[in-house]
Amino acid sequence: MANAATIAQILMSGLLMGLIYALIAAGLSLIFGLMDVVNFAHGEFLMTAMYATFGLVVLLSLDPLVLSPIVAAIMFVVGAFCYRVIIVHAMCARTNVGMVQVFATFGLAIVIRGLAQFVFTPDYRSIPKSWLGGQTFSIFGVYMPAPQLAGALASLLAFGALWLLMKRTDFGKALEATREDAGAVGLVGIDRNRVFAMGWGLGAALVGLAGAILSIFYYIHPDVGGPFALIAYVTVALGGFGSVFGALAAGVIVGIVEAISATVLQPSMKAIGIYAVYLLVVFLRPRGLFGH
Amino acid sequence: MNTKITRREAGALVGAALTGAFVPGAARAQGRQIVIGGLYPLSGANAQIGVDAKHAYDTALDVINNKHDLDLPLAKTEGLPNLGGAKLAMTFADHQSDPQKGRAEAERLITQDKVVALIGTYQSAVANTASVSAERYSVPFLGADTSSPTLNKRGLKFFFRAAPHDEFFTQTMFDFFDEMKKKGKPVESIALFYEDTIFGADSSTVQRKLAKEKGIKIVADIKYRSNSPSLTAEVQQLKAANAQVLMPSSYTTDAILLMKTMAELGYKPPAIVAQDAGFSEQTLFNAIGAAGEGVMTRSTFSLDLGQKKPSVGKVNELFKARSGKDLNDLTARQFTAAMVMADAINRSKTGEPQAIRDALAATELPGDQTIMPWRRVKFDDTGQNNDCTPVLLQRRGDKYVTVFPAEYAVADVAWS
Amino acid sequence: MASAFETRRRNQLIIAAAVVAVMIALPLGVKDVYVQNILVLTVMYAALSQAWNILSGYCGQISLGHALYFGIGAYASTLLFVKFGIIPWFGMAAGGIFAAAIALLVGWPCFRLGGHYFTIATIVLAEIGLILFLNWSYAGEASGLQIPVSGDSWLTFTFLRSKLPYYYFALGLAAVVWLVTYFIEDSKWGYYWRAVRENTMAAQSLGVQVFRSKMAAAALSAFFTAIGGSFYAQFVSYIDPDSVMVFQFSLLMALPAVIGGIGTLWGPPLGAAILIPFTELTRSYMGGGGKGTDLIFYGAVIMIIALARPEGLLSLVTRTRHAPP
Repeated sequence: MANAATIAQILMSGLLMGLIYALIAAGLSLIFGLMDVVNFAHGEFLMTAMYATFGLVVLLSLDPLVLSPIVAAIMFVVGAFCYRVIIVHAMCARTNVGMVQVFATFGLAIVIRGLAQFVFTPDYRSIPKSWLGGQTFSIFGVYMPAPQLAGALASLLAFGALWLLMKRTDFGKALEATREDAGAVGLVGIDRNRVFAMGWGLGAALVGLAGAILSIFYYIHPDVGGPFALIAYVTVALGGFGSVFGALAAGVIVGIVEAISATVLQPSMKAIGIYAVYLLVVFLRPRGLFGH
Repeated sequence: MNTKITRREAGALVGAALTGAFVPGAARAQGRQIVIGGLYPLSGANAQIGVDAKHAYDTALDVINNKHDLDLPLAKTEGLPNLGGAKLAMTFADHQSDPQKGRAEAERLITQDKVVALIGTYQSAVANTASVSAERYSVPFLGADTSSPTLNKRGLKFFFRAAPHDEFFTQTMFDFFDEMKKKGKPVESIALFYEDTIFGADSSTVQRKLAKEKGIKIVADIKYRSNSPSLTAEVQQLKAANAQVLMPSSYTTDAILLMKTMAELGYKPPAIVAQDAGFSEQTLFNAIGAAGEGVMTRSTFSLDLGQKKPSVGKVNELFKARSGKDLNDLTARQFTAAMVMADAINRSKTGEPQAIRDALAATELPGDQTIMPWRRVKFDDTGQNNDCTPVLLQRRGDKYVTVFPAEYAVADVAWS
Repeated sequence: MASAFETRRRNQLIIAAAVVAVMIALPLGVKDVYVQNILVLTVMYAALSQAWNILSGYCGQISLGHALYFGIGAYASTLLFVKFGIIPWFGMAAGGIFAAAIALLVGWPCFRLGGHYFTIATIVLAEIGLILFLNWSYAGEASGLQIPVSGDSWLTFTFLRSKLPYYYFALGLAAVVWLVTYFIEDSKWGYYWRAVRENTMAAQSLGVQVFRSKMAAAALSAFFTAIGGSFYAQFVSYIDPDSVMVFQFSLLMALPAVIGGIGTLWGPPLGAAILIPFTELTRSYMGGGGKGTDLIFYGAVIMIIALARPEGLLSLVTRTRHAPP
């Protein structure tokens, strides 16, 4: 069972899935790095993006891949809206800021889940026909499913674009500056609230992109966000809170470790592999791999 | 159980009897409702199960409470004849897949809503605690769709189950393998693929036991984490093992992911014989399309029974009008449970829990008065019906056809 | 003459005694089994949340993995009872001690981690516990363990129909944990932790003592949480990993404290008194439809409270929050 082809397949599958995990984690990492807020509704953002894709497919009969920029844009608005209406109040708290965010976003997560069940019913949805759905490429006996390939590619492109944004644009520099010292940026004319809202929007857009691609090969359901969110939190922490590129590295590590653990351990225990790696890393590097 | 009656209780009984004697019987029965409680997941991951179950039960209530020309108990009358035409009603509670909440809701239904019986619960863990509660309050509990073999082996007097449990189902699968062996197409190797829940554990335990008895080799025994984001590594192991028959025990989410991942990795086993659950859901086949062709599953029910039993088709129409879906293994069991319960309530003559319990124990419902391919409904002293033959279905085109056992088959199985 | 501080402290005890007296008398007026069930759950969560509060509220180490200790307690006492016939009273103590030991073991490397890293580590540890129990056949894996109940017995702490014994035990547990918290507030540890929360620099100079006190807090918190777990197992007479070790449980143990007032003496009980009945009633009376309306309502209320009153609802009752000098 442990021949070369199997190992190659496991590594490839782990890599592709890992890049997708990284894309999901990117938004979370961005938001955290910017304002020290852990968004407990991140899984529900993913789920919302998947439902949005589904809805658009039904309405417009376009392929999810084509729709992904639209979904990302929709999620941008959702994210910014959540900031403006909810999070900004959470951050005004003079006490307990950490716990307030956790539970405000936890409440938000439940509301979104309830809304999804109300609007879409709890039935499982899927997108049966799409360009990439069901397509798979095989190179030297190693299979690479088209949707996961697209997800991995999108992830790399997104991280690349994010890097350009952070280093080369004014907005990116404003993001960095606000992250470094949120109190002081007002002095140089940067509207902190505006930057935060954009940050939330961008974070949500990233997870929106992931959701659109996931919906090609995954089922859609109000509770679908849970397992992905857990992996996203561990990924962000592993990579280091505040380091978006740490999330990329960590995502890949998580994906590969998951695949290897499923083979080496009993598959029902594969998550232990990921968790063990996280614990090991933070015991040695208390701020994760690349944390600030 | 305390059987002595205290003086206060005796007084209450006398008072009730006197009241009963003085209030005209007709006035009491008219507009009288007998209420039973339904415990189902109505929020969370399994909420759709609860929603569908409600439709199934509403369909049954419709058949019982109104005149229908069907060869089913109580269909041709309105309400329950032996109770003065009293109507049967159901009140539902959400257990959220939690045994503690299920128990709390069972107690609430019994003590506040005064239900005379309980039906439920989809999840065996919840059935566990809810039925224990029912036992303590001497209220009958009918497990409609919970298939754990341990449920009727706890020595409870108020627990009943009309439908098969996992041992029956798996036995049918292996009987089918024996049948194929006789036809010169033996099954040499199987792969077990099951989730880490009670369902997966119960299912795989019986599968392992029977495979050993029959000398069939298990080339892969994979227990996976339910609701995993990715099943690629697991499917890779299945592919490497290359069994002749893949036997998955998965709910809808994992079933969808399994089938899709198999297609993505270029793995198609010669045969798939599933332990129902996700594989009985139309949603799965909507998601995977043609890849579902030839998939087999065990089931308690099949729509094509309607070819031999007209009531099946008519009930399906009633159900479909409410839910937009056809009856499947689960909803058929739920409908049938309600019918069995109603029949027992009718025979109890008083509609009191103890009497209903005794009526259930005395149930002798012939199979052709149900929509199921069963010989009959008769409970043994553990509360289990042993005459409920499961069937095996195979996917042809956009529906399932019955292929085994021969007396219910409508088509020959496509088997290599 | 007693200082304002001492008077306040004495008043706390008086209020506590009054509350306990009311709680003891309450079941006399409440006969409905369902409502009694809500009372038991409320008091249990008050105890659990108060235990959580010791580590996460006062000591400032936010744990979202307390379900691990809850599960350890539940399984320890149940395994000892079901496999070895050891009565739950000893089983509870054993579970508590074992959980405390685990807390020390994981605390030692984990306390070096900052805020969010620590929290994620707690989540991860609880998940590891969940997966281990789901795959441990001796403990029944996913099928869980059933506690045989043949009749009412204080010895085996099992009761067929009556909720009252469970209620009084849980009340007792909540009172004990409250008292422990009360004494901690005015102790060396309490001062260390306030120092850490309010001034990290000062805390650094206290180094070793702070670390030791954190370990002690973790052990205490885990001990009482595990006893709560054993209690739960006896109460429901059936446990499986999905009901005692899942992440949602960890959140539910923290929620009452957050809503009521984290790091305060009365926050957790107040939060439990509001949250638990609310949760139960929305599920029972709004949940039957399958439309998710109860979730929308429940989530919205949590959000609103978290945003409108981040100090917790306790601040509505007390005018100011004085930290003792």
